Amino acid sequence: MDSILTLLTDDLLFKILSLLTDDSDRKSFRSTCTAFYRVDSLHRTHLRVLRPEFLPSLLSKLPRISSLDLSVCPRIDDNAVYLLLSSAAPIWTRRIKRLTLSRCSGLRFRGLETLVGNCVNLESVDVSYCSGFGDLEAAALSRAAELRELSLDKCANVSDVGLAKIAVGCPKLERLSLRWCFDITDIGVELLSKKCARLKQLDISYLKVSSESLRWISGMERLEILQMVGCGLVDDLGLHYIGKGCPSLEVLDISRCDKLSSSALGSVIKGHNSLLQLHASYCYSELPMTFVDQSKDLKNLKVLRIDGARVSDAMLKIISKNCRFLAEIGLGKCSVTDTGIMHLISGCVNLKVLNLTCCSELTDSAMLAVAESCHNLLCLKLECCNLLSERSLDYLGSHCILLEEIDLTDCSGINDKGLKYLSKCSELVSLKLGLCTSISDKGLSYVASNCFNIRELDLYRCAGIGDDGLASLSRGCKKLRKLILSYCGGVTDRGMECLSSLEELSDLELRGLPNITGAGLRKLAAGCRRLAELDLKLCENIDDSGFWALAYYSRNLQQINFSGTAISDVGLCMVMGNLTRLQDAKLVDLSNVSVNGFELGLRASCARLKKVKLLAFLRRRLSPEIIETLKARGCKIRWE
Amino acid sequence: MSDPQESNNTQDWDPRAMLNNLSFLEKKIHQLQDLVHVIVRRRAQSTGQADEILVQQQQLMTADLTSIIVQLISTAGSLLPSVKQTLCPESSISQQFGVTNQTAGVSDNVVFQHNNSVNKLEDPSDMTGFFGAEQNCPIEDHEMKSDDDADEGENLPPGFKRDANLRMHMRGHGDEYKTPAALAKPHKESSSEPILIKRYSCPYIGCKRNKDHKKFQPLKTILCVKNHYKRTHCDKTYTCSRCNTKKFSVIADLKTHEKHCGRDKWLCSCGTTFSRKDKLFGHIALFQGHTPAIPVEESKGSAGPSNKVEQLEFKYKSDAPSGSSCRNVMDLERSGEDPISYFSPLNFETSGIDGFQEFPRPPFEDSESSFSFLLSGSCDYPPKNGRYTGSNDME
Repeated sequence: MDSILTLLTDDLLFKILSLLTDDSDRKSFRSTCTAFYRVDSLHRTHLRVLRPEFLPSLLSKLPRISSLDLSVCPRIDDNAVYLLLSSAAPIWTRRIKRLTLSRCSGLRFRGLETLVGNCVNLESVDVSYCSGFGDLEAAALSRAAELRELSLDKCANVSDVGLAKIAVGCPKLERLSLRWCFDITDIGVELLSKKCARLKQLDISYLKVSSESLRWISGMERLEILQMVGCGLVDDLGLHYIGKGCPSLEVLDISRCDKLSSSALGSVIKGHNSLLQLHASYCYSELPMTFVDQSKDLKNLKVLRIDGARVSDAMLKIISKNCRFLAEIGLGKCSVTDTGIMHLISGCVNLKVLNLTCCSELTDSAMLAVAESCHNLLCLKLECCNLLSERSLDYLGSHCILLEEIDLTDCSGINDKGLKYLSKCSELVSLKLGLCTSISDKGLSYVASNCFNIRELDLYRCAGIGDDGLASLSRGCKKLRKLILSYCGGVTDRGMECLSSLEELSDLELRGLPNITGAGLRKLAAGCRRLAELDLKLCENIDDSGFWALAYYSRNLQQINFSGTAISDVGLCMVMGNLTRLQDAKLVDLSNVSVNGFELGLRASCARLKKVKLLAFLRRRLSPEIIETLKARGCKIRWE
Repeated sequence: MSDPQESNNTQDWDPRAMLNNLSFLEKKIHQLQDLVHVIVRRRAQSTGQADEILVQQQQLMTADLTSIIVQLISTAGSLLPSVKQTLCPESSISQQFGVTNQTAGVSDNVVFQHNNSVNKLEDPSDMTGFFGAEQNCPIEDHEMKSDDDADEGENLPPGFKRDANLRMHMRGHGDEYKTPAALAKPHKESSSEPILIKRYSCPYIGCKRNKDHKKFQPLKTILCVKNHYKRTHCDKTYTCSRCNTKKFSVIADLKTHEKHCGRDKWLCSCGTTFSRKDKLFGHIALFQGHTPAIPVEESKGSAGPSNKVEQLEFKYKSDAPSGSSCRNVMDLERSGEDPISYFSPLNFETSGIDGFQEFPRPPFEDSESSFSFLLSGSCDYPPKNGRYTGSNDME
């Protein structure tokens, strides 16, 4: 062994490491020996910590960390920041360029200000879903003068004033997302357009801005990507501005802007022949003919999404003739026919992503055509295409061997034989088979024996799936991370035991499985140490014995749904008190838990919880202190 | 001197002011009468007097008459605000009576600056005589709007003392006005035509606006003289009823202030306040580095709850029941795992819940376990309640 290791210089190891993209592979690498561990420490630039208390010592050992992700830490608040920075002159702060604080809703402006003030070289900050953030927090962020990238998604209290702070303080901004910042108006966007001339990407989705904002945006010379989903106040005038301005525009998303007429799209195409992506889902009930006519100008178009708009066969023929380089097309709910698909693929042979959700008229012949033409297909969405039979999967399995993602939810024609054909697509990463009632354990065993890369599997309400299927799954699909088994009534404790060998499993949905008991959960918790999200809603036979094990083993659990289980006061307090990473708990319909139990459970976890769902009657029964404390900590309470 | 007759609204019309004005006019007419009497007597005594004196007297009379007319119109105008608006600006009145661009040299209180002094003695000036007659009372009572309106009248382009000020002003008009050509001094197109710029002096000796001052800065109109005098040399008698701090000597200034007082909630970091958000944002767009200031109440609001939390936490920590069997375990865990104090169920009333047990946990080491999802297997599973006798097998 030693001799081999001496041959591997640090340079070589660095090269090897840079090719390891998967987290688990890197973990295996650094677990090999101290030399590898050391190289990994030197190589690592990104750090996603689960507990902030380890950060200072970790950062001193990892000299190249420039990106820090605190989004999964349960308890980032101002005090945590002060503690983090209290160690004498932390030098790591100078290295940090990227900071992810998504969902750190406990943080307030003082903490944020301290953090931003110390990390002087910050270039990218993500504070999305920090729902309590307002103008003060925005002002704290504006102190990062080098900032290039900022996401404020769902920071619902940030108003024009906060945006103005950022626009003035961070003139180098290149990417900005303001999705769901409902308080931002035209005035704020106007100022942004005047102050941040370097913006390349702007997301103003769901803002209550009018065409006036687009007038200002149209003057932004460098803007390449504009996302404005669901801007219901924007009318044709706004799109005319965009058509005349934004000389660098490459990607435009106007999905769900329902005030637009066909002329709006026309003027955009007229002004931007080099558009690469056009997203116009759910804008039109029928695809405007003017667009189809003008599509000849969009020679470079790579992505086109027109979900929700009825498209005739003739239209698809013209589009496929004009846009030869299309790699992705979204035709969900467009009532496409077999002829339409044949027209489409006659021109666009490079299609990689094809969304045909709810095109229920499609038959196997359409799939035959797709499979024979589009060998590079990576993603195919066929949800609710009821007429498709196993023959479709046969065509796909024989031709589209690169397929990574397929959605067959609610395709009632899919059976075990179909899965056998599909299993030839060995690159599959995501497979959705929800509501496919004809599949059984046998079908699953075909998939498990061939598709080793599957990470996401949806078996929602697949009544034919039982423990045997899970057994084969646990043998084959070792990389499984997300598994939905809700309402697969045949699954029992034995199935749980099988699942416990899936070490990477992090997201498990087990709703409505009456045959799982405490013993099953105990085995699962003991095996799947990476579990981060667990849904046990309506598993009415899981009692405290299972939850005790959960409290003991599943220290990485972030989200849990206990609703309708048999958990008692003690079990609830155990889980809530011991799972120090728990952030989101749904605690509805717990017949064995008293008000006192809820109070205790919440007290045990109130410093960490970011989201909790409770029955409405508890609003009056719980102590006001606990409710106030939760709210002050930035926890969102949903009363059911 | 500060009769509240400057009211802009009809409902504010003050009959006392009206009476004052009328008696003033009466006095004025009497003075004029006396003057004419003198002339008549002189003519009777000796014809062939020096023409010069006669011309001067005529000038004086015309000026007085003009001022009487102006006064009369503005007094009437105080009853009708709409009428007043159109009649009040001085230039329009002057034009009505054809006395613009006419001058009679320098009188006591009024300085005339000539671009071209050709017609120096040609015609009597409009206001000279009036001011000459009223030396002791230079600030007269006729209606006017605030200084700004009169100073930079609607149809006159504002002048700027400094280039920078002009540039700053032009920024507001947009980029196309920032070119050097646009900023250059306007051409004097009609140099052949005599353009007279009238300038007025403040009667207050030593004032910069007084003609005797070394760096005399003249005033443009009599309205300016009046408001300047009130603002700088009179007591500020009007207090804002809203804030009770701001004081004014010109009632129009008070009115303007009251319109905004307390409502200027849009504050810039430079201290300027605005009544409307878009005005503030326009200001911020113009000036480098200015940002909107965030109201103080909001920062208080954020600080409040967090303090509360700490208090609550503290309270429960100290209230921990000392009889708890797991207390030691708890303390150990807290000190080891968690630098931040937090709640434990044991720190709360636990009566009614039996068999409560926390797992003992080893103090966390600084290991990679924090990001590799590994939990140290060394901790012992509590066998106390017998449910997990075989638990070690599960590791």
